[in-house]
Amino acid sequence: MSYLGESAKGGIMRAAKPCKGHCALLLCILGSLLCLGRSARADDASNWLDIETKYIFGFTTGSGIGIEGEKEFTVDTIGRFGKRDGHYAATETKYEYEFTPSQFVQIEFGALGSIHSIGGVTGLDNRNSAGFSGGFAEFRYLALERTSTNPLSVTLAFEPNVRLIDETSGERVHNYEFESTVNADLELLPNRLYAGFNLLYEPEYTWTAQDETVREATYGSSAALSLRIVPNVLIGGEVWYLRHYDSPGFSAFTGDAVMLGPNIYIQVTPKMFVMAAWNVQVWGREVGNSLPLNLSEFERQRAKLKFAWEF
Amino acid sequence: MSIQIMTTKTMTFAAMCALALLPAAPTLAQQVASVELTYSHGAFQPKEVRAPANHPVVFHVKNMDPKAMEFESTSLRVEKVVAAKSQGIVNVRPLSPGRYQFYDDFNQQARGSLIVQ
Repeated sequence: MSYLGESAKGGIMRAAKPCKGHCALLLCILGSLLCLGRSARADDASNWLDIETKYIFGFTTGSGIGIEGEKEFTVDTIGRFGKRDGHYAATETKYEYEFTPSQFVQIEFGALGSIHSIGGVTGLDNRNSAGFSGGFAEFRYLALERTSTNPLSVTLAFEPNVRLIDETSGERVHNYEFESTVNADLELLPNRLYAGFNLLYEPEYTWTAQDETVREATYGSSAALSLRIVPNVLIGGEVWYLRHYDSPGFSAFTGDAVMLGPNIYIQVTPKMFVMAAWNVQVWGREVGNSLPLNLSEFERQRAKLKFAWEF
Repeated sequence: MSIQIMTTKTMTFAAMCALALLPAAPTLAQQVASVELTYSHGAFQPKEVRAPANHPVVFHVKNMDPKAMEFESTSLRVEKVVAAKSQGIVNVRPLSPGRYQFYDDFNQQARGSLIVQ
């Protein structure tokens, strides 16, 4: 659920100029990965074990669904930082049980916990709070599997969420979110270099404590690259384009943003991994606000940290 | 009268279900390819096995070692712990042609390949 500041209301839409520094950073990351990937071809990765691609792209999700009979417990925290003014930090942690009942389906479910630290942000109440915030489930179906002759793999995912605390403001609400994604990845160099792509549609319905009903939706797409520099470590970069609407459909557009950043995946042991990602908003626009970036629906920065234990 | 309508509806529904299942019938009747593997002294024998394409595959993994091993494969999307001195059975979906790597997750130096043709 998003909150428009006073300055955002009643004006005309005007695009902010893209940040040249961040675009240069993106080009550097992509260029470095491609160069490293090219030089990596000289090394022999053919005797490396295949890797599970689901978590190697940061906020972009790969097509992996695990292996039949596998069970995993993960702690997955996403932090969002920085609004237009004041101090803003919010995190949401998923305590997640994940299992793969067949060679084509993966199921996940768990609880959500959130922390909010907000002070002096226009449109949001000051707050320092932490607590249980809801639950979620996810169903993933592998629609197209990678083979020796087909490097593309595609998974369809549906993730309903129920929240009692608003993600953005930390207020008490009843929020129902239905995240639907297409997760695709492509093995560019066998066992070495992977490209990931996501399509996102996320409608939400929120009932506030004041009995207001808010309907909104976020659409998005992402592209990512991940390079396996040694058998148990991958580094990469990703870019996200996100659009926000004050309706479940394509009407009532309120703004969009581009997020960009690096990520790292480390397979600590055969049964444990850690993944970290960081995105910064490099471009954005709000309807009715000429200021750069979209800080009503999105934040200046977001970070993700995930630990997983297979058993 | 209403009982007769319900019976007709039930029969129509049953016929539709039967028709829907018809395309699956040849799949169910597909011949299963059996693959025998022995795990001994921390290695698979043989290291390379073969199976026909588009047929379900069943691995019979015989662990001869005095400790447990975990037969695992990311590309086959299966895993199975096989206790010491025992045999495990792993069922795999019909596969496209290609090379599929498998290994012991408790000793990842122990590896083998399934060649599907």
